[in-house]
Amino acid sequence: METIKTAQVYKQMLKWQLIATISVAVIVTVVAQRLGLASPEHAGISALAGGMSAVLGGIAGALIARSGDKKNDAGAILITMLKAEAVKIFVIALLLFLTFKLYNEHLVPIALILGLAASAILSGAAFIGLDKK
Amino acid sequence: MEAVQYLATIQAYTGIGIGLIIGLGAAGACIGIGIMCASFLEGAARQPEMIPALQGKVFLLLGLIDASFIIGVGLAMMFAFANPLLSVVPH
Repeated sequence: METIKTAQVYKQMLKWQLIATISVAVIVTVVAQRLGLASPEHAGISALAGGMSAVLGGIAGALIARSGDKKNDAGAILITMLKAEAVKIFVIALLLFLTFKLYNEHLVPIALILGLAASAILSGAAFIGLDKK
Repeated sequence: MEAVQYLATIQAYTGIGIGLIIGLGAAGACIGIGIMCASFLEGAARQPEMIPALQGKVFLLLGLIDASFIIGVGLAMMFAFANPLLSVVPH
């Protein structure tokens, strides 16, 4: 029977999230430079901030979810997963709030949303890696 | 209409929009998570030996279902802290 532990899933998720975040940051910087925007580097940093919020939220969630690996009861596992998801959303919301508050002057909101969206959606691509195994 | 009135109108409608983005996004994510958790519990009850194999996939799918909600929260924060619609109001 195939056994996929949370740590294994998380490694795949982290890999895809980092690839997505860095790719979007580079693309956004290049596009901003081509369009002649005033601050292409701030667009890249904004995309990185958005993507890294999702990555750090994922790390926080994975730390909580790891404790469910030892449990055998389906209900207990599910409650641990939901707790992990709640922590993940809280951390992401907090980091986004801090980004909008502290980096308000140079923030490029569209770049931040693009980085966040790419990182959040592409975490699901970890299924590809898991299916290969 | 004066600039202040335009500003107030845009902010009021933006507030409603932010509420709708977060509320509908949360409702959709909750429905999706509810369906997935029910399926997981059903599968675990039928074949308890599948629990370890399903556990990782449940965690992954939880993240995928919540992705739309997280993007919604990001968009809502953008409208709350750096509303691009306010740029149409003359200074």
